[in-house]
Amino acid sequence: MTDFSPIYDILGLLPLEGMRLRFMQQALLALLLLAPMAAVLGVEVISFRMAFFSDAIGHSAFTSVALGLLLDVDPRLSMPIFGVLMGMAIMAVRRGSNLSADTVIGIVFSAVIAFGLAVVSRFNGMARNMQQFLYGDILTVTEDEITFLAALFAMMIVFQAAGYNRLLAIALNPVMAKAHGVRVAFWQYSFVGLLALIVTFSVWAVGILLVTALLIVPAAAARNFTRTAGGMFWWSCFVGLASAVSGLTISAKESFTTACGATIILVACCFFAASLVYARLRDRLRTD
Amino acid sequence: MPGPETSAPALRFESLSVRLGRQQILEDIRADVPAGSSTVLVGPNGAGKTTLLHCLLGNVRYSGQIHVDWSDGAQRPLDWSDGAQRPRIGYVPQHLQAEAGLPLLVSEFLALSHQLRPLWLGLKRKIRDKIHAAMHLVHAGHLADCRLGDLSGGELRRVLLANALALNPLLLILDEPAVGVDIQGEHLFWAVLDAARIERGFTLLMVSHNLSLAARYATRMICLNKRVIAQGEPRSALTAGTLLELFSVPIHLYPDQCRVANYTCPQCGT
Repeated sequence: MTDFSPIYDILGLLPLEGMRLRFMQQALLALLLLAPMAAVLGVEVISFRMAFFSDAIGHSAFTSVALGLLLDVDPRLSMPIFGVLMGMAIMAVRRGSNLSADTVIGIVFSAVIAFGLAVVSRFNGMARNMQQFLYGDILTVTEDEITFLAALFAMMIVFQAAGYNRLLAIALNPVMAKAHGVRVAFWQYSFVGLLALIVTFSVWAVGILLVTALLIVPAAAARNFTRTAGGMFWWSCFVGLASAVSGLTISAKESFTTACGATIILVACCFFAASLVYARLRDRLRTD
Repeated sequence: MPGPETSAPALRFESLSVRLGRQQILEDIRADVPAGSSTVLVGPNGAGKTTLLHCLLGNVRYSGQIHVDWSDGAQRPLDWSDGAQRPRIGYVPQHLQAEAGLPLLVSEFLALSHQLRPLWLGLKRKIRDKIHAAMHLVHAGHLADCRLGDLSGGELRRVLLANALALNPLLLILDEPAVGVDIQGEHLFWAVLDAARIERGFTLLMVSHNLSLAARYATRMICLNKRVIAQGEPRSALTAGTLLELFSVPIHLYPDQCRVANYTCPQCGT
């Protein structure tokens, strides 16, 4: 297993609330890896108009945890596997039918949640296990999970380097992208697979209810801060990272002691509000 | 020797049919698109024009064949499987699925098809120069630093054309590229397109509803209404009789054809 101690030692030197505690250092490292990944994928989620899709994958956590408990599989293994499978299934149905994306996702979404709730209601005591997934808890992140996140981070850099332009071309017009040599199906399925993995991890960080926000709020703020597609990538990364670090620190303060995931999203929403004001002022200056 | 990679190909549609469920979309299409020609597909809504383009682009299943005839004499069926040899295609769609607020500069949009380096690492100088050259070709050099969402309909169509032209296509396919553009913008679009074709020598296949501009700029017409009604040079294909059969309204692109005896024109009584 990778030894992250030198990184923890550096993080421990940061003048942030509670950062001398190991679990806070682990949480910060996990967020430093997860937040930019979610924010960058958020740029593509917005371009593909797939916010509802990520919500559906997040909510599939209900079913995957329930299935995991039923089949005696660790939920931390059943969640990513089930999430990726569900993402692929939605994309396959979407590509092969004339139904709108919202309709397809809505049907799968409902089926998955209904199944999850049915299983949970059937077995006493399972509901208690569900609570941590509703609200998320980044403070309990383990070394194994951080190692996996680090591997995912490396994969994400390669994916974004090779796929950022191609995914944007597909989002603008898939027929044109294909005619111009982009392998549309390959990139769509790869994107959905990676998105499902990130959403699954984000569920552990901020919970099912807020998972979509972690993806789209930084990207939506970035849209207001910049006029370019290149700038949107970096602004989204910045807002995601700044929200995660500030949210973790604020939630650790004694005067707040709020849920970490919810605090991160609230900070991101403040960034979005600031971006709206900035965009209004910029547009007004341009028209004057 | 002019190889398949350098010269514009000709296309042949051979007994091509498309059926969706019980509905026959295209039936026994036999048509030619000569190398280096400006071939325009016309027909009423629902005639299958866009479906025919989608067959060509590998997006619709069909029976029959589409043959690519290269200038070196080689003939191959068009094949969209990985690794198969195809002519370099440029495609100009009707529209983009971009929201008005999308942060994307015109120069970035053109770079999507031409640069492997991701946009978040900036544009290469070489690509920037190539993009500017393509933009000047369509009289849109001043638009490179505009946001895509801020363009007018006519400007956007010319940017889409520049995007396809920058690929140096051997086959350029356009699907109603000037729909929703004002008369002046549409005239400019056709003129720019024709000049580019003559200069570069690519084969052009376009769907259009503008009969008068098609009559002026096309070198070949294919009149389609689920099957081929007529094909050939504009003057021989766009006869009043054919147009009446296609659109069920009297249209006289060439006034002297009003005296053709094999149909009755409800307008002039001939």
